[in-house]
Amino acid sequence: MQDQNISQSSSKVLVVGGGVGGIRTALDLAEAGRDVVLIEKSYSIGGLMTLLDRTFPTNNCDLCTISPHLSESGRDLHIELMTMTQIEKLEGSAGDFTVSLATQPRYIDLEKCTACGDCQRAFPDCVRFTPGLDHRAPTCMRYPQATPYAFSIDMEKCANPEELAKVCRSEAIIINDAPKMKDVKIGAIVLAPGAEVFDPSVLDGYCYGSEPDVVTSLEYERILSASGPTKGELVRPSDGKKPKKIAWIQCVGSRSVKEGCAPYCSSACCMFALKEAMVTRERFSKDNEIETTIFFMDMRTSWKDYELYLQRAKKDYGVRLVRSRPHNIFPDPETDMLAISYTTDASAAAQTEQFDMVVLATGFKVPQEMRDLAGKLGIELNEHSFAKTGSFDPVAASKPGVYVCGLFEAPKDIPETMVQASAAACNAARHVAQHKKAAEDPAELPPERDVTGEDPKIGVFICDCGFDIGGVIDVNRVVEAARFIPNVAASEMVGHGCSRESLERIADVIKEKGLNRVVIGGCSPRTHETLFQDTIRNAGINKYLVEMANLRDQDTWVHRDNPEAATQKAMELIRMAAGSVRLAHPLADNVFPVNKDVLVIGGGVAGMSSALSLADMGFKVYLTEKTGKLGGVAKNIHRNIEGDDVQKFMNDLIDIVQRHPNIEVITGSVVVDHSGIAGMFKTGLQIGPQMYYRAINHGVTIVATGALPNRPDEYLLGKNKAVVTQLDLDGIIETAPDKVKSWNSVAMIQCVGSRSPENPNCSRICCQSTVKNAIRIKTINPDANVYVLYRDMRTPGFLEDYYSKARAMGVIFARYEVDAKPIVEAEGDGIRIKFFDPILGRDVSAFVDCLALSTGLVADEEDTEELGMIFHLPRTTDNYFLEEHVKLRPVDLPIPGFFVAGSAHAPKSIRDSIAQAQAAAGRAQTFLARDAINLGAVVAHVDGNRCAACLICVRACPFGVPFINADGHSQIDADKCHGCGVCAAECPAKAIQLMRFEDDQLCAQIDALLYGALERMA
Amino acid sequence: MENFEPIIVAFCCHYCAYTAADMAGSKRLSYPPNVKIIKAPCSGKIDAIHIMQALQKGADGVYVAGCLEGDCHFKSGNTRAAQRVSYIKKLLEEIGIEGERVEMFTMSAGMGERFAEVATEFTEKIRKMGPNPIKRAAKAAC
Amino acid sequence: MITAERKPMEEILEYVRPCQRILLVGCNECVTVCAAGGRKEVGLLSSALQMAAMKEGRTLEVKEITLERQCDPEYVEELASQVGDAEAIVSMACGCGVQELARRYKSMRVYPAVNTKFMGASERQGVWAERCQGCGDCLLGITGGVCPIARCSKQLMNGPCGGSTKGKCEISQDVDCAWQLIWDRLKALGVEDRYEENIPAKDWRTGRGGGPRKIIREDLAQ
Repeated sequence: MQDQNISQSSSKVLVVGGGVGGIRTALDLAEAGRDVVLIEKSYSIGGLMTLLDRTFPTNNCDLCTISPHLSESGRDLHIELMTMTQIEKLEGSAGDFTVSLATQPRYIDLEKCTACGDCQRAFPDCVRFTPGLDHRAPTCMRYPQATPYAFSIDMEKCANPEELAKVCRSEAIIINDAPKMKDVKIGAIVLAPGAEVFDPSVLDGYCYGSEPDVVTSLEYERILSASGPTKGELVRPSDGKKPKKIAWIQCVGSRSVKEGCAPYCSSACCMFALKEAMVTRERFSKDNEIETTIFFMDMRTSWKDYELYLQRAKKDYGVRLVRSRPHNIFPDPETDMLAISYTTDASAAAQTEQFDMVVLATGFKVPQEMRDLAGKLGIELNEHSFAKTGSFDPVAASKPGVYVCGLFEAPKDIPETMVQASAAACNAARHVAQHKKAAEDPAELPPERDVTGEDPKIGVFICDCGFDIGGVIDVNRVVEAARFIPNVAASEMVGHGCSRESLERIADVIKEKGLNRVVIGGCSPRTHETLFQDTIRNAGINKYLVEMANLRDQDTWVHRDNPEAATQKAMELIRMAAGSVRLAHPLADNVFPVNKDVLVIGGGVAGMSSALSLADMGFKVYLTEKTGKLGGVAKNIHRNIEGDDVQKFMNDLIDIVQRHPNIEVITGSVVVDHSGIAGMFKTGLQIGPQMYYRAINHGVTIVATGALPNRPDEYLLGKNKAVVTQLDLDGIIETAPDKVKSWNSVAMIQCVGSRSPENPNCSRICCQSTVKNAIRIKTINPDANVYVLYRDMRTPGFLEDYYSKARAMGVIFARYEVDAKPIVEAEGDGIRIKFFDPILGRDVSAFVDCLALSTGLVADEEDTEELGMIFHLPRTTDNYFLEEHVKLRPVDLPIPGFFVAGSAHAPKSIRDSIAQAQAAAGRAQTFLARDAINLGAVVAHVDGNRCAACLICVRACPFGVPFINADGHSQIDADKCHGCGVCAAECPAKAIQLMRFEDDQLCAQIDALLYGALERMA
Repeated sequence: MENFEPIIVAFCCHYCAYTAADMAGSKRLSYPPNVKIIKAPCSGKIDAIHIMQALQKGADGVYVAGCLEGDCHFKSGNTRAAQRVSYIKKLLEEIGIEGERVEMFTMSAGMGERFAEVATEFTEKIRKMGPNPIKRAAKAAC
Repeated sequence: MITAERKPMEEILEYVRPCQRILLVGCNECVTVCAAGGRKEVGLLSSALQMAAMKEGRTLEVKEITLERQCDPEYVEELASQVGDAEAIVSMACGCGVQELARRYKSMRVYPAVNTKFMGASERQGVWAERCQGCGDCLLGITGGVCPIARCSKQLMNGPCGGSTKGKCEISQDVDCAWQLIWDRLKALGVEDRYEENIPAKDWRTGRGGGPRKIIREDLAQ
């Protein structure tokens, strides 16, 4: 809502920063039909995430989850990628900026470089480390999947440039390459420059820099990483020995007032430390030989399902957690270990413990160059030098037309970055017109080779996926065994199959050997099938002639304790895939027009924000609300933690939404039925007290049904007037300040009805509500005693400032253990509360006028279940909607065309809900930008000659698609078929086949798997 | 029959069971490698013939895994699959083969634990039952 | 359509036990529609027979063929090239088909794999009910389109009997009383008075009374 009059004279968006956030923004914009210039100051895109070994909460290898995105961004024609490039200056205003870009010399011609690596091999002596551990040649690629796939040279380190140039057979090395300047007209800017990781060498107590076995968490990631300096071996940098005891120290450089440190919380460190400890235990700790200990102040695991992750770390992985903040590490020359001295609540006396390695969980910081960038752009920064944004406009910078996402907005983890990236794309897209469609250009693709009549020639390509596959099974044996499978003409190992290098290799082999079928042995087809389909299509083969064998998710990841059996199983899976693909036919996709209307379910702050974003872009939006009015839970909130007037914001938003010409608000409506597929959905509503029925045709659906304020039956809630929830208290403070003035004491209890066996997750919003209300009480009535009884104070990012402020104002924070909860009794007009104060080390009994319970949110079970059933959307165990990918696709739901926003996903603040709502709108827009949808080729096909017109398919089809046509046999129209195959399974004449899952293909898999099984036994 | 390693074929629907299997992978939940998954878009796609063929070719146990009741991505494919499985059980009993060698299970996409549990329990059950009788007979004949 | 259902496996196994090679023949007409003997059932039975044989330590080769219609000699002729060294033919068609095979392949043992049940209609997916007994003298014109011969347990020409309670037959609560249905239909048609007319005893000579029946269309017969 930054600006109303939008000029669209320029047609491009500039995205600054090629990390995950920038890449997501660029891809979303490109998919939404906008031209993008993506600039990155480094020599390849990928950012911090590509340096990580694995990511929480799935503990996946990052490279395989992100590399399809990297390759995607390299492939997209509407994204102009400029590496080693930075902004020099910016002129003009939103919709009509001119930006001057400066590109540093790479000394390599990207057009000519084939990334053969000759230059790197010829000059291995000049090495450098990034970050701190990684061997680097002067010409270097950052990681195997680098985009662009070319090297770059650090000319300063090169003693003999002429010699280096001679090494290159492609003559790609340009010794006298020079900086270049370029002016570009753009409509909007998205800043995703990331941040830097805190350098702990300024803290002398930790011996970082002097003790090689004290490493940062990012360096530890590199040690774990298969593409890192130790090739995935966990060894100490000092002596190459395997460590037995590893400690993590949290909040290094964060939550600290020390010189050079940041007062805010870096948000992601708790989770990545847990992840590193879990991965260490899982991958390197045979027979529990490695002990992992995390020293922490508060465990801040408040995003969706992170609390469960914390529980897994403790219970399933035996990660030891010690609540303490050690300030010193001493090397012990006798034991060659590192001693940490620390104190805990249990005893004031310092304890000392020795470790082989210490990992410093370093947080994020804005580097000077970004402060300079902000100056050049004319955007305001907050007191911590991060970009300043509004509480209700989370990705808008202070200058119209400039948006931010990711770490530069505030410290955060990847899912939140992805949310902001899509939100920023959504906002930026409004400033530029959609480019003229260069009609899905089939000329771009090479002609498809007609393989009918050819004997099958199968190529088998097996990924080792770094450690993930190759670390468990003997990939070479699997490759060798595949050569003996009938019709296999080539079999090889391809490292990371999804890397650009491997994809090119696969394409080359297809052409060289004239392959007409491909088997990929790697990860799950659920995530990577389209990538390989595109690859073989680009190599001139119909995309349905590839089959994936899931060697990772369904073999090496689950049978790591039995490598031999896993290897055997891998061979069988490859045989099965080959058996199936041998019988595969070239298929054509079924393509249909897209309905561009939007259905948004839920009229709370998230639903309204999504509706508004899309309506502003010209899409017709149907906004349905179950109750009689718009507003949701946010309508009952008066102030946010920043002190803004939430009521005013909500009233304005409701007003704009209700009057928007593109939005039709349908209150009092519930969803009763649903059919169709993305691009052509049809949803039935029952509306108003008369419950009249109305069907809405739409192309996408945004689910923003919110959550319910929890009111558990605990601590006399509902039984005693002095006991209220934080939501109630917010209203009391706003409407009855005199009452607040009359209070002598107030107590607040955290985690009521959350982080409990019944509701194991964290409600995320309660700690900030508590801090907000505590500060407001102290402001109105400075003499009041305010006690906050908590388990972990979870105030990530800049919320930490408010937590510090509350403490400075005299709010008393006392931690309680889950097995020693506070005791609450009614006493007169108030409440008697008894608790143990670990700082004082004794029991405290206090009379309070008001007891506020931090009860958080719970999913609306009935609603979520009902909607989940109607839409076939999966839910988490606590009944929130489950997104497509918890890391990289946080607002996409698993059913194409469905997106989620707000607390329907997990408990969220208003600000987070708006960001997610804009992200959902942004993602929806990428879908709506298409004119046609591709239904793929998995549809049922009837052989009219065999059909007995028995009607069994007509009756069996869950969607009523088949009918007996004028020719007297069953007909199944491709545009209606959902591709389930029930008809094919029930047809008594075996006249129906489901394409891609034909009976002979399934039988071939059975045969391949069971080949020789009878004889073996005999 | 020492060292008997049963061969188990698991027909899994794409939306729930196959995804649950992947989920078991991301959670690193181990289960016996005896279980080999064949993917189908829906458990309702699994023809009774496929189940019979698997047994006839030497599988020791076969199960179909679909979405939870009422949660089928295709509305009712899982209930049709369950009906077929019970039909096959009776047919097997008629020719003197234990119907328990064939089962239907349901799970949601997020239930990686359940996938691993089902795979483990079913494998153990079949291990206890011993090899598919058609193989036993083949061995005795030698 | 003619309905049928698969025979108990033991009975079929008894037939084929002496054989090492059989031809299993389905029919793409009525038995396909009633899911008793189409291509799919042929596949299932084939698997089951082979497994049963293997379990008994024998091998059984099953060749599967589904004819368009087993009750027409031209289609049955298609088998001639397929019979080869099969020791028996197992038919999944109705009795007509089995006999047609036996007539054409005189030296071959031909066994039925299904029990032919009745002429019926499908009530819903997977449920078939008897509707006609082929009496040769159709009464439906006077009984409101409900056949008392096929649908009354006693084949009463003038019903109902005393066993009709609340529209159901005394033999089972699942069986509708045909005469109740006839009455309902007559009422719906506004011809209740027809119910009062006595239907004379049936002349069964049009049925099986005259021995095996034959239809000859003089204009078509060659």
